[in-house]
Amino acid sequence: MMLQATTPMILLAIAVGVLLAVIACKRSYALSTLTAGSGLFVALLGILYAARAPVTASGLFVCDHAALGFVALILLSALLILIVAAAYWREDTPVPREEFPLLVLIATLGATALAAAGSFITLFLGLETMTLAMIGLIAYPRFRPDAEEAALKYLILSAMSSAFVLFGIGLIDVASGSLQFSQLLAWVPPDMASRTALLAGLAMLAIGAGFKLSVVPFHIWVPDIYGGAPAPSGAYVAVVAKIAVLAVLIRLINEVGGTIPTEFKTLLTLAAILSMLAGNLLALLQENIKRVLGYSSIAHLGYLLVAILAAGSIGKMAVMFYLVTYSLTMIAAFGTIAALSGSASTRDTDTIASLRGLFWTQPALAAVLTLSLLSLAGIPPAIGFIAKMYIFAAGIHTALWGLTAVMVTSSVIGLFYYLNIILVMSMRPGEIPSGRLGGRLAITALSMPILIFGIAPQPLVALLRSVFG
Amino acid sequence: MMLIWLIIVPLLGGIAAWPAAQLHARAPALISLVSLTLELALAIPLLHPSAGSWLVTFDASWIPAFGMDIRLGLDGMSWLLTILTIVLGAFAAIVSWREIDDKTGFFHANLMFSLAGTIGVFIALDMFLFFYFWELMLVPMYFIIAIWGHENRRRAAIKFFLFTQGSGLLILVSILALAFWHARQTGSLTFDYFELMRSPPGGELGFLIMLGLFIAFIVKLAAFPVHVWLPETHTEAPTAGSVILASILLKTGAYGLLRFVVPLIPDAAHAIAPVALWLGVLSILYGAVLAYGQSDLKRLIAYTSISHMGFILIGVFVFNTIAWQGVVMLLVAHGISTGALFIIVGAVQHRLHTRNLDRMGGLWTDLPRLSAFGTFFILAAMGLPGLGNFVGEFLILRGAWGVAPVVTSFAAIGLIPAALYSLLAVQRAFHGAADTKRDVPDFGLRENAMMLALAAAIIGLGVVPQPLLDIAAPSLRALVPPVTAMLRHPEPG
Repeated sequence: MMLQATTPMILLAIAVGVLLAVIACKRSYALSTLTAGSGLFVALLGILYAARAPVTASGLFVCDHAALGFVALILLSALLILIVAAAYWREDTPVPREEFPLLVLIATLGATALAAAGSFITLFLGLETMTLAMIGLIAYPRFRPDAEEAALKYLILSAMSSAFVLFGIGLIDVASGSLQFSQLLAWVPPDMASRTALLAGLAMLAIGAGFKLSVVPFHIWVPDIYGGAPAPSGAYVAVVAKIAVLAVLIRLINEVGGTIPTEFKTLLTLAAILSMLAGNLLALLQENIKRVLGYSSIAHLGYLLVAILAAGSIGKMAVMFYLVTYSLTMIAAFGTIAALSGSASTRDTDTIASLRGLFWTQPALAAVLTLSLLSLAGIPPAIGFIAKMYIFAAGIHTALWGLTAVMVTSSVIGLFYYLNIILVMSMRPGEIPSGRLGGRLAITALSMPILIFGIAPQPLVALLRSVFG
Repeated sequence: MMLIWLIIVPLLGGIAAWPAAQLHARAPALISLVSLTLELALAIPLLHPSAGSWLVTFDASWIPAFGMDIRLGLDGMSWLLTILTIVLGAFAAIVSWREIDDKTGFFHANLMFSLAGTIGVFIALDMFLFFYFWELMLVPMYFIIAIWGHENRRRAAIKFFLFTQGSGLLILVSILALAFWHARQTGSLTFDYFELMRSPPGGELGFLIMLGLFIAFIVKLAAFPVHVWLPETHTEAPTAGSVILASILLKTGAYGLLRFVVPLIPDAAHAIAPVALWLGVLSILYGAVLAYGQSDLKRLIAYTSISHMGFILIGVFVFNTIAWQGVVMLLVAHGISTGALFIIVGAVQHRLHTRNLDRMGGLWTDLPRLSAFGTFFILAAMGLPGLGNFVGEFLILRGAWGVAPVVTSFAAIGLIPAALYSLLAVQRAFHGAADTKRDVPDFGLRENAMMLALAAAIIGLGVVPQPLLDIAAPSLRALVPPVTAMLRHPEPG
């Protein structure tokens, strides 16, 4: 029955209510984080229950195993980001800290709804819930001018992309008369006019998705927002928002049999090539790690598009493996910055120069950041190596030689800036950035999967196969 | 089971060495040495007379979803290169005893990790596992150069990494294409070396796969024109780094050509042979001529490496056992002689704080033992008869003569500038008058012992080369069957 399949979302909604009550009764950051964390954890457990429900193809939500898999990934990422944030917001922060976990919960609720959406109504609801809460996450340290600027930019651009999405939904509804994905997929346009309206609607939706995924040419907002947002929020924008949007996209592509219409194939190929090259080239010029990570995420979405274009059995698994890798790695990278930064200061410790000598002052954090950067660059023993192999395999298997060649080239370009950061960390120490023991321990623990699955990826491959295969 | 320990022991050594620096600054070096001694004790007994070419193999599941296994195997050639790696790795640890006094723990951890990766490269028989190790040896090496190197270390480290990593991606694409091609023929996806050997791809695809591997391996071998990373990297690395780079890492390129390119894609390997031979000649001449013009002693040795690797390239691509035997001999002998030379240059720099030949001169008066060993190893590298390098180069030229006489003649011409730069270097460094009065210690017991051991090895190889050739012979014979089928030239002799 429907309710059983949507257990995680229901549990999350309850958790939001509980957290509100908790904050109203007692302001305590630790309690607030603990409540939000338990909410996410219970929702994660709820997935096991939901997975046993019979799959309902119609309705507002599609809770098949693939959708629940994405929901699990979202919940897990949100949980990790919550842990990162717990170490980040310190007592001396000049704003109350308790609402940050609340915003994380609300955004995650939106993200799960989006990932499991079965109709345009839930899609839009999920998208907006997530986006609005994320604006709060970005602007949370409102005493920081950079954060306010980033949030304002994100607000305006999100509103614009939401407008595109709404317009697209409207066109599709007018043409096909349905808001359900399943009915739309089965629908064949009867005449030229409705076919044009459908294509135009899909194109508008693609623009909205492109904005959230920050693929070229919808990427302009990325550096400012990643750079201005506090590190945990940056991780959230980089990871959870993208998983949720990709979840819808991938599910839709899978439902039409893994084939992408040729009209979109050319565009996607172009977007993939441009994202890979632009992301890596522009990252070369940056002096701020969060901005580097932003551009790097553009490039990584380009790699993901290659896997999506490759389709086939290997391509499908490549997408999932890459997505998991990307999430773990980005959270670890942002987490290191969070652990180094003081939330009370007007900006994070995020210039590359400020990491000078980190290897000798904070060896554990430096090792984690190095591991994440190696993972992003695709070098063993980090998990990113296996992920990159997966995409190469998908590309070669389906003879996408051109895209594979671009990927090789841009990977080499990418090495420059990843290595540069590692080099700076290995120099003689400058001023020593602060970092607390709890944060260091948490980050080190979070990064272990990057190493473990990089050496022995089989358990993860098997898990993803059983869920998405 | 023994083989997996060959990789685990140095890894554990590295992990133990890292925090040991907090106990005592010299503790990591001691741990490195102990684990390498243990490694040597494990590796030596693996050599035994056996029926087939494989002395010992190991097989365990790794990523079954892709048919990737932890498949290891040791034959005569791998055994020789593994022993070379362990011994020179140990010497690199010993020279770092004095030279590295900053962050010794991290240094020795990196040293051991890169050795573990290299040994993995030499014994992996699963193409993907091979690539994994291939990549794994880079990062620690990068740190060694970038943190403990000389003045321009960062530039050199980035250059090294970009070249090797970029070419590494070519390997990845090639082996994936090879495996998928094989899967299309047989229906099973595998990266097993022996399986893949059974269905060599031909045509355009085969050529492209071969080209990817070929380019990647000659980048590592530092043949002309993809050698550009080598002079800077070798010059800027700390002594231990230079020793590992020149004596061991360069060899992985040659090993890749011989182990993978020749048997896996024989048709395409034959097709590229003329190009490879001429690249070999160009490397020999280019390396020799540039070595002649250097006044930085370390740089000079780096360029001679390019020259010697040219011989290796020729030896691999004339496709006969005589030349291949020469290749294995030269790999080992060059590893020993160049390793020794880098240790000597490191010692000179440690004492005089310069690598500039113009500021040396007259070293023989002040440092007689160092100069004597220096002269000996320069002459050995030059190819003085009676020493190991001579046997290697002679066998290569002998094997190449029947196949490609013109190439062989040009390669032999390379011996003339080699003699010039060698003698000139000896003269400028060790003879003449010293420009300043120096009050520095000569080689002590530790350095003398190392030098004597290396010198004895190189004399032994030169005087009694047969045992080494016998060890390598089964591996090389195993290469012959797929190749002779399409051999276009009769084997000489």
